[in-house]
Amino acid sequence: MTVTSPISKPMQRFRSNRRQRILWGIAWCALLLVAMILSPWVIGDDGLSPVLVQRNQPPSLVHAFGTDWLGRDMLSRSLHGMSLSLRIGLLAAGISALIGTGLGLAAGTLGGWVDAVVTWIIDVFFSLPHLVLLILIAFAVGGGTTGVIIAVAVTHWTSLARVIRAEVLQVNSSDYVRLSYRFGRSPIWIARHHMVPHVIPQLLVGLILLFPHAILHEAALSFIGIGLSPHIPAIGIILAESMRHLSTGYWWLGVMPGLLLLLSVKAFDWLGENVRSLLDPKTSQG
Amino acid sequence: MHQLMKFSVWPLRMLLLSQVLVSCGFGSTESTDGSNPTATPAQTGSTEQIVLAIGGESEEGYDPTLGWGRYGSPLFQSTLLKRDEKLNIVNDLATDYTVSEDGLTWTVTIRNDAVFSDGEPLTATDVAYTFNQAAESGGLTDVTVLEEAVALDDTTVELRLKEPQSTFVNRLITLGIVPEHAHGPDYARNPIGSGPYQLVQWDEGQQLIVEANPNYYGETPGIERLVFLFVEEDAAFAAAKAGQAQVASVPQALAVQTIDGMTLYDVTSVDNRGLMFPYVPVTGTTTPDGDPIGNDVTADPAIRQAVNYAIDRQALVEGVLEGYGSIAYGPVSGLAWEEPSAAIEDAQPEKAQEILAAGGWTDSDGDGVLAKEGLTAEFTLLYPANDSTRQALALSVAAMLKPIGIQANVEGRSWDEIEPAMHSNVVLFGWGSHDQTELYNLYHSRAAQGDFYNAGYYANQTIDEALDLAMGASSEAEAIAFWKAAQWDGNQGFTAKGDAAWAWLVNLDHTYFVSDCLDIGQPQVEPHGHGWPITANIAAWQWTCN
Repeated sequence: MTVTSPISKPMQRFRSNRRQRILWGIAWCALLLVAMILSPWVIGDDGLSPVLVQRNQPPSLVHAFGTDWLGRDMLSRSLHGMSLSLRIGLLAAGISALIGTGLGLAAGTLGGWVDAVVTWIIDVFFSLPHLVLLILIAFAVGGGTTGVIIAVAVTHWTSLARVIRAEVLQVNSSDYVRLSYRFGRSPIWIARHHMVPHVIPQLLVGLILLFPHAILHEAALSFIGIGLSPHIPAIGIILAESMRHLSTGYWWLGVMPGLLLLLSVKAFDWLGENVRSLLDPKTSQG
Repeated sequence: MHQLMKFSVWPLRMLLLSQVLVSCGFGSTESTDGSNPTATPAQTGSTEQIVLAIGGESEEGYDPTLGWGRYGSPLFQSTLLKRDEKLNIVNDLATDYTVSEDGLTWTVTIRNDAVFSDGEPLTATDVAYTFNQAAESGGLTDVTVLEEAVALDDTTVELRLKEPQSTFVNRLITLGIVPEHAHGPDYARNPIGSGPYQLVQWDEGQQLIVEANPNYYGETPGIERLVFLFVEEDAAFAAAKAGQAQVASVPQALAVQTIDGMTLYDVTSVDNRGLMFPYVPVTGTTTPDGDPIGNDVTADPAIRQAVNYAIDRQALVEGVLEGYGSIAYGPVSGLAWEEPSAAIEDAQPEKAQEILAAGGWTDSDGDGVLAKEGLTAEFTLLYPANDSTRQALALSVAAMLKPIGIQANVEGRSWDEIEPAMHSNVVLFGWGSHDQTELYNLYHSRAAQGDFYNAGYYANQTIDEALDLAMGASSEAEAIAFWKAAQWDGNQGFTAKGDAAWAWLVNLDHTYFVSDCLDIGQPQVEPHGHGWPITANIAAWQWTCN
């Protein structure tokens, strides 16, 4: 990778180095998402208090996203909601990565009944409708914000575990691993030294692509009103509330937060795609 | 690699799934209409049928002895007396009633031409049965003061009380008479009565269809068939806008809209909203169910009074209710037994701060929240999560209290979650009745039994005595002086100037969109929203278009 200063001609950069373009894309997406996560601490809680004299104002310079039926600033609310969703997504992705890698590695290397049990658990998770499972878990652990976080966090690891298991199985049948076994290495040693390096790119990409799921699931859960108080600025609650005003013409209540959600989910998508094309041997040399 | 490709399709699928969920939640009523051809509401109203989207489904069913119609107008049944549009008491089933000197015996003569919708005549035996049954079942209609009800002959019934009760006349107004021969456990699902309408079909959670009772003794109803749609407030508005409902109750926030061909009826009500404060400090006592009682912060009268003075009620009426409401300083605004001198000058944050300072509350650490002897001026303010008006009131009140240094943490919960917490946290309650018994139940120390009545465990001997005197007075007129004294007698009272056991906020107006073709007469001042208060004069409704 060559380092070009930002003032170099864009066309040249475009032509000469696709890798750099991808890195820029990754940087921008990451920056956007980090900015969204940190925004509540920058803008503070002021916009969340009702100001009854400025109700239902369309978007303006003062309130870029307009105000809602209590005069709360929709931009603040949307950013608070997005930040909450992103943090839940981060947590869910982290926990999923832990569980997914652990179980995937165990299933792939140990094989036998361990593999059977892990595969069975994954199948059970897949056979249940995801939203129903989320609702069940959120309800069972007592509801509230914690309930939503736990439910979203512990239900997203399955696809990741399956991908990792498949990868491990593939590596497991390769010659050098077989050789390693012959040398008398323990499965744990093999898992650490031969599997993990192969699995990490998969994990990274899987992790990033998990985000949008977790966010949309959190939004879906808060949309149908599980746990969170209806005045808490969560993106799902904001969207659910905007439904009530569809018939009254206050379009900005739904459109603006919806666009923000779309933007952040799309940002993750780009991020994931770009990271993948960097790490995937088929595309990384282009 | 195929596994990885799959990931990116998922978010889209989720989005679609959540949309499916949405349409299930909000569109259920439309879909059921289609599946049931006999119940399809006509697109437009007519003399034959109108559709009402005014909520008010009673999940427990329609048995008056268990509490149906406790705010009046039971629709299926008729009552001995009723209130007209000016709230005067007029005869319905009764032709006359007398009360004995000692106030213990009420003798009621009833009309002889009343017939139940199954054709059986309504006699004094049915009246006696209804009252005895209601007293026995201990339902939400409170007739515990009744010793026994006896039918003297076919048209005369004697109600004997254990002690005189000035509010007992309200039982005659609200308790719908049920037929003794057809009353049983399943009556609540299949009500039979002598009211203007009879039940045809009830799809729980969806709709209820009634038809005019051909045997009704009163004026024949102008509309043959009524369909009650049970939908969310915003769906009611949408139904009205689409011309599918001829009467729709909408939240005040939607009342500012206009619908072609419909007129907004802004009906005054005593349906009030207020903050209930736990009155006692935490002592470790619990209700019979084991729920904690008391809150150290709200047990301080300075906090309760300061809240009362700091709130700008007029701003709430204009901002939250869009002007469709009125300010409330007590639970009985606009009724004959309201004490006018109990009103305060509110929206005075300075005065609230003075009260707090005099009460010993200071902001020593400069965090904007007051404290006193290690206790922070902070409480949790609960509201029912599905009620947008209460949510708005709670949030606005919390914003108004912040500048004076009181931190109200607003939380929306379901009623199931509020009930165990309501004796130790501030709750945004709503009450409002034409019956003074409610005053008694909200403030008398004996009413605090770990239930909704007097949930804050308010107790003041002087107030108890005034309420007892009011209750024991021989007539409603005589009782009024005592009801007023309990609110504020110049020295003591449960309202803001006195103990400030509650911070009453507003009275809601009930807002309905009514088709221009429908003449609903003059609606009365409505009580709290359970049931269908707007149907009080339903027999007089007329369809005026062809």
